[in-house]
This record gives sequence, C-alpha cells and structure tokens, in this order.
Amino acid sequence: MDLIQWFGNTVMGFCKQDPEKARRFLLTGYRANLLSLITHLPPSAMTKANRYAAIHIMETIIRSLTRPKTCAMVSLFVPCEMLYSIGLAPYSLEAISGYIMGVSCEDACQQKASEAGFSDTMCAYHMTYLGAAELGLMPPPRFIIYSNLACDGNMITFPYLRDKHNVPSFYLDIPYEKSDDSVRYVASQLQVMQDFIEQMVGKHIPEERLHKAVRNSIAAKKDALATASYRKSHFLPTDMTNEMYSAFMSHILLGSDTAAKYFSLLREENQKAPFGKAKRLLWLHTIPYMQPSLRNLINYSKDVSIAACDLTYDSFVSDWDEDDVYRAMASRLVYSGYNGPVDDRIRYALQMANVTGADGAIIFAHWGCKVTLGASKMLKQGLEERGIPAIILDGNGASPAATGDGQIRTRMEAFLEMLEASSDDSLYL
Amino acid sequence: MIHYICKYTPIELFAGFGQKAAVLDFPKPRYDHSDEVMHGNICGFGKSVLEAVLGGDVKQIVLMNCCDVIRRVYDILSKSGCCDFLYMMDLPHVCNDCQSERFALEMKKFIKEYESFSGIPFNSTLIKSNFAPLKEEPKEPFLVLCGNRTEGTLVKELKEKMPLPVIDCTCVSGRNISIPKQDPFNMSEYAKSLLSQFPCMRMETRKQRRQIFENPYLRGVIYHTVKFCDYYSLDFRETQKCCPWPIMKLETDWTLQSSGQIRTRIEAFCETLEAGKEQKTKMNENGTLFVGIDSGSTSTDAVLIDRNGRILSSVILPTGRGAQKSAKNALESVLHKAGVSFSEIASIVSTGYGRTNTGLNNESITEISCHAKGGHFLYPPVRTIIDIGGQDCKVIRLDAEGAVTGFLMNDKCAAGTGRFLEMVAKALGMSLDELSHAGLSWKEDITITNTCTVFAESEIVSLVAQNCSVNDIVHGLEVSISSRIATQVRSAGGTPPYMLTGGVAQNQGVVKAISEALGAEIFICKEAQICGAFGAALFAAEL
Repeated sequence: MDLIQWFGNTVMGFCKQDPEKARRFLLTGYRANLLSLITHLPPSAMTKANRYAAIHIMETIIRSLTRPKTCAMVSLFVPCEMLYSIGLAPYSLEAISGYIMGVSCEDACQQKASEAGFSDTMCAYHMTYLGAAELGLMPPPRFIIYSNLACDGNMITFPYLRDKHNVPSFYLDIPYEKSDDSVRYVASQLQVMQDFIEQMVGKHIPEERLHKAVRNSIAAKKDALATASYRKSHFLPTDMTNEMYSAFMSHILLGSDTAAKYFSLLREENQKAPFGKAKRLLWLHTIPYMQPSLRNLINYSKDVSIAACDLTYDSFVSDWDEDDVYRAMASRLVYSGYNGPVDDRIRYALQMANVTGADGAIIFAHWGCKVTLGASKMLKQGLEERGIPAIILDGNGASPAATGDGQIRTRMEAFLEMLEASSDDSLYL
Repeated sequence: MIHYICKYTPIELFAGFGQKAAVLDFPKPRYDHSDEVMHGNICGFGKSVLEAVLGGDVKQIVLMNCCDVIRRVYDILSKSGCCDFLYMMDLPHVCNDCQSERFALEMKKFIKEYESFSGIPFNSTLIKSNFAPLKEEPKEPFLVLCGNRTEGTLVKELKEKMPLPVIDCTCVSGRNISIPKQDPFNMSEYAKSLLSQFPCMRMETRKQRRQIFENPYLRGVIYHTVKFCDYYSLDFRETQKCCPWPIMKLETDWTLQSSGQIRTRIEAFCETLEAGKEQKTKMNENGTLFVGIDSGSTSTDAVLIDRNGRILSSVILPTGRGAQKSAKNALESVLHKAGVSFSEIASIVSTGYGRTNTGLNNESITEISCHAKGGHFLYPPVRTIIDIGGQDCKVIRLDAEGAVTGFLMNDKCAAGTGRFLEMVAKALGMSLDELSHAGLSWKEDITITNTCTVFAESEIVSLVAQNCSVNDIVHGLEVSISSRIATQVRSAGGTPPYMLTGGVAQNQGVVKAISEALGAEIFICKEAQICGAFGAALFAAEL
C-alpha cells in the first residue's frame, strides 16, 4: 500500500468515529502539500503559472475546510465576481472532489453517497462530494449559490445540501435560448443575487470593487485567448492537472486578482516557449488527470499536449461590456458552450481547434455526465466533418479505479498513432 | 396528433389547432436507432424518444427542456430531419410570477411556430373545452405509483395485479390543470396553473411531493426509477424515510419488460399488502405432510415438513433445462428420501423464478415472502435477510413477527451472485469449494473494481498475467462483491441481526467479507441453501 492510499484509508477510518478528527487529519495532508508547493519541494517540471494556480487553489480548499463561514459554495458556472468583491472565497464541489481524489478517498465517498440514496449513474464528482458531506468530512458552507448550468446534477445536489446543512441558498436560472432577452433575464437575477449576498454578509458590495472584478475577468479572458493562440506554434510541456487548474481559474476564480495574474503568467510562459511540433489535442469536457495511463502518455510529454480544454474556454466565447457588469456576467452564462444546442459547442470547439492548431480532439465521456454523453457522438461527427479527428474516450474522471485503465490506454495510444500516421503523409507517398 | 413527453407541456393549446395530444409511449425491446446516434449510458426513455421518431412512429412532437438527455435528444432529432414538427419549449425550474410570465411567452412562441408550420390559425375558443376536469383527492384506499415515467404496459400490469386502485403520479402522468377563469383566455394564468402541478424532481421546489404521502387513504407506494435518470433515486430514499406504508422500488431501463424479476417484485409487493392476501386451499384434505419447492435459475430445491415445521427430508438438484421436469424430479426425490407417498402430502407451494411453471403445485408464492417465512422460523431475531441466489441478490426486511416490511432486488445484473462466483471459479480453474476458502488466506490487498460478470473475467485474467496470487485475487473479488451487497443492504434500510440465505452462504470468504463490510455478525444456518423451499413448505402448512 502506498503512502497516499494509507493516508486516505486513515482519513476514512477516522470518519467512522470522529469526522472532525478526519477533517483535521485531511488538512494536515493538504497543508503538507501546500508547503511543498510553496517551497518548491519536490522539484518538478511545474511552470510558474501552474505552481501559482496549485498554491491558490490549495489555499482555497484549505480555507473552505477551516473557515467555511468566510466561503460560499457555488456550482461551477456561477459568476463569482460579487463574492470576490466582498471578500468571500467561492469553492466548487468539483474542486473539492478533485482533492478528495488526490488522497484516494473518492471510492469510499462515492459508496457513501450511493448508500444515502444517490444514483450510481450520477456524476462521480457530485457523488464524491455528497459522500464526503454525508460522512461529515465537509463542514456546512455559509450559503450556497447554484444554477442549472451546466448539468442536471446541480438540481439534485445543491437543494439536497441546502436542506441537509440548513443553509440559505440562491438559485440562478439560465434559459436554454441564447438571446438578448435571456441575457437581460439573467442580468436581472444577478442583481437579486447581489441583494442576497449583501443580506448574507450584512454589508454592501462596493460598486468599484465589482467593476474591478469584472475588469479582472476581461483581462483573464484576453490572456487566456492569447495563450491559446501561442500554443498553435509554441510548445510547453505540461500536465493534465494544470489544465484542470485552468478550468477552475476560468470559472470559480474568474474575477479574482489571482485568476487575472494566473492567465497573465500563462500567456507569458507560452509566448516565451520554443516552437514545437508536438501533437496538440483539444480536450472536451473534464480532464481525468488521475488516470495512470493517461498521465503516462500526456504529462510533460514532448510528443503530445493538451492545447485547450473546452471547459476552460467556454467562459470566453461571448463579448463583455465592462461598463455593464451584470450583462457581462449574464452573457458569459447564456452564451457558454455548455448551454444551448450541441451545434454551438461544436462551433466553439472548432474555433478553439483553429486557434490552437489542434491535431485531434478527445471527447471525454465522463461517467454520469449526460450533457457530454448525450452529445458525444454529435461532437465527434461535427469535428470530423470539419477535418478534426476525434475520439470518444469513456471513463470516470473522478474515480480512476472505476475506469478500465488498460482499455483507455489502448484507445488513446491508437488515436495518437492515428494522428501521427495522418501527419506523416510521406509514409504513404 | 402531437406527441408530448412531459406533464408541463401545454397540451390544451394543441386543441387550438384542432390537434389531439398523445403521450409518447413506444417502449421497444431494443433501441438500435438510438444506439447509432447516442451514447449507450443515457436513460432508456430518451432512447425510446429517438427510436420512436427515427423509426417513423412519431411525426409531430413537442418536447420540454426537461433534462440533459432530452436536450440532446432534441439536438439529434433536429439534425435528423425525421420529424415533420419538432419543438422544444424552455421550462422554468421554479413557479413564481416572473417564471410564469416567461413560460407564457414560451407558449406564445410555440403558437406562432405551429401556425407557421401548419398554416392553421390558432383558435383560442377551442381550448377551454379541452381541459380535463380537476381530479379530486382519493376517498378510498389506494396505492400511488410515483417516480419516473413508466411505460404503458407496465402501468397496465400494475393496475391489473394490485389489489387496490393505483394512482399514477409519475413525472409524465397525473396532469391536473385548473381551467383559467379569466376571459379571454389568459396565458399567464394558464402557465401558472401548469407550473403549480404536483412537481417533478426537476423543479427547484418540490416539497409538495410529500403531500401525497399524507393522504389518509394511502396504503402503499410503488416507486419507479429508470436506469441512468438520476433525479428519482434520492427521492425514493426520502420517500422511504417519510412514508409509513409498504413501498416497492421498480427499476427498469424503459425497454419492454419481460423478465421474471419484475413479476417477482410485483407479486411480492401484492403479498405484503394486507388487502392482497387471498384465501388459499389445501390440495389433499387427508394429507399430513407439506412440500415446498424452490424452482431457481441454478438449482431446484424441495423440502418436506410435518405440521410442526420439522424437516423430514430435503433435496437440491440442478435446474437443468426445464422447470417442470426439475420440480417433478425434486418432488419425487424428496418423497423417496423420506420414504413417504404422494397421497400423504396435504399441499405444495412453489417459489422461485419457475414457481408458476412447475406444473404440480396448488399455490405459488414469491421467494421474497418464502425466504422471510423460512428465515424467521429458523432464526426469529432476524430483521434483514440477504438472499444471494444464482442470478440475483435480494435484501428483505422483516418486523418482529416475520412480516416483510420492505425489500430490494438487484437490477438486471449478475454481479455478486452465484453465477458470478461460478464464472470466477471457472476463470481461475478452481472448484466452488476451493474458491470458498481461497480468499481467506490473502496477503496483498488487491482492489478489483469490476463486479460485472463480463468485465471481471478480463480483469482476473489481467491480474493473473501480472503474477498476482490467486488467493489475493479471490479476496479482492470478495471485498468488491461485499461492498456492493453492503450498499444494497443499506439502500434497503436493512438493520441487524442479519441472516444470509441462498447458495452463496456456503462461500466462507464471501460471508466473512460481507460481515466485515456490514460491521456485524451474519447468521448462517445449515438450511441456508433451502431456506426458500422451507418457507414455501411452511406456507403450504398454513393452507
């Protein structure tokens, strides 16, 4: 048994008798991880931007566990500019679940959620958090803000957590239709959301701070798009976890100074990176960064890299007016690639493939995600019709053990061989 | 004819175009068209919608923006061009004035769209006569069917077999819309009335769902869930907590149901309802002995008892190819073994999958009731029986009197059952007896994730190839199976003392692993394998 597995088993063991003791022990591990990131131990190929992201996300996770009253729980797509403007830290269950997976506790948590009555076919990220909450490992948040974007899982998980913890919540309804009318409708709800947050905290959100947060988001978007375009020709080896950091930065951290600085660092690194001819992948949906075979194939590889993930760039498809902060945030939600018809998601994916010069696309059919499972064959067809080879990779991003590692490795290797063969036309001349 | 799939659909508007509304209900044994265009891991109902349209059964359909699957179904159908009229309406998640106004606008958009498609001008005067009268609260004992939409043939079967009227409150049924009072027809009022119905689980506020369980005439709940629809699983558990009446969970994949499992569940539920009990009769008034026959998928067991429940003889025979022949052989053998003649038998009760096909019984009772009966007799303190048979696993909850208070069966999956262990033994080249002990002397804790009978075999082969010890592999499998069974026990609300019945009770490794997973001792009696047949014999003695 390795150290992490032992650590995870110990956390779960404590949970049975004393959940708070389990949480304290879990925090010991997270703090040790934070310390190693800050002190650059162990040395790794992590870039400055990625280390910066890892530190700040780890700090947020620790804060949500130690000072939950200074935090708000949000669903992944909720705009968080208002929360940053008033000094609260938002956190998402996907991020927490990722860190629970980091200490090998995900399967025990998912089993607990299943025992509590949640369906085994539900998104495994949701199941992990729900199980941890059931075990008492997660403290109640101060309040919850959630929306129906991007999946039905939100409509199951968050009302349950609200009732379980007996905490206030705010629901943000995102219409399916992408129109100015829908943007107005969401913008008006955001104003009510502001009232809700102010009432919860007992103070007003300073207007200038909110404007600054939205300007941060706009700056992050500019740098993120620039990063993507540099990746077309420049090449910087990276790992899958870093790409998930980007997805968190473009959602729950968007609007913060941290996200603005992160995307700025990322742009600089990619701009300075040497030119390279490695295969560039466009990744659609969550990244299974703990899957052993995929880590071996992709992490810091000189031959292949993830050039963009649609879960990062979905936030950046609409134009934002910094003078109208509510509309800026509302349009980000309404025009997200994860809202509306699949054709829009295909169109955005093609745009990203074009910007990054992607050689092929991975559609990760994450267990339990009906949004992507349902769309997967259309996405594949839509991309291939426009000359982007694509593969549907079935797996469970929140439970490496529940994914057939050998099978996923074979599919991925075969796909990379196919991309290699198709680029080396001389072989066939 | 315009088809619809959701009770929030404003079907009364269809009359404004002279069109009738019909619930889309086209379950098929397979969904071939759907599998071509959509990933397999989505709910069977979504597949059936695709199949109905792509197969040409449906030409006009109005979908609601119900869930992730229906949104993708709409995308696929839009692209296919197979529908003459395809429309998806955006359905709000909450019911307040603002959302009602928004929904009213959606309905106006639909009217415009259908006018454009059909060339028929909308006639609002035709709408009001199309409203069904408001349904009143039940005033006599009834059962409620709730949860996911349920295909028509299954609803019909439930209504026919249940001893009490069944009120269908599943997500597509139970429409109850008040006629808008304002004249001319007021769309906002209508929208509010639609959104105020008994809420489905997709709505943000669903406390109203609990009201049905407070009705004083309610006598039981049938809860239907569809595989890969996540909304209703949790609600089932919440219902279990708040509802004092017997509750049966039926999970289907929305294909046409023909399995014995569904029949067993329905009949077992009837048996648990007081009103469902029928007066049964003896076969031979002069007889003094009683026989129970358990016609299972793997073995056919027979038990002969006297009036005091004393076992005079018992046999376990392989089922072979025919339930009738195996049951006859078992009966002959059990009589021969005890040295008694057929004329001494007062009555016979059959149970198990083949219970209605034995051709020699005068009664058949489900194995759920029989295991409860037998288990309670053999070990009166028992509160939860875990019966692991050849092809399924049942968790049966009992009260102090031995009456069934609830049960849960696994779905169409042989994971962790006798068949699964047979497959494992075969893959490892061991006998079942060797398998039973192998896992007890493990050294390394191997994690095996697959309890799927098909995929576990390849995982075992792969572990053998990695030179893992056979004992460790067997132990890994036992842990995996026991974890699954423990989850099923907890899902069923099972509490100790526990008792394990069925052939798998002979496997010491599995028993130990289940005991560890549940954190409690498990009672195993020497009659564990014949407990169902013994319970059937006890029932026979009561005739």
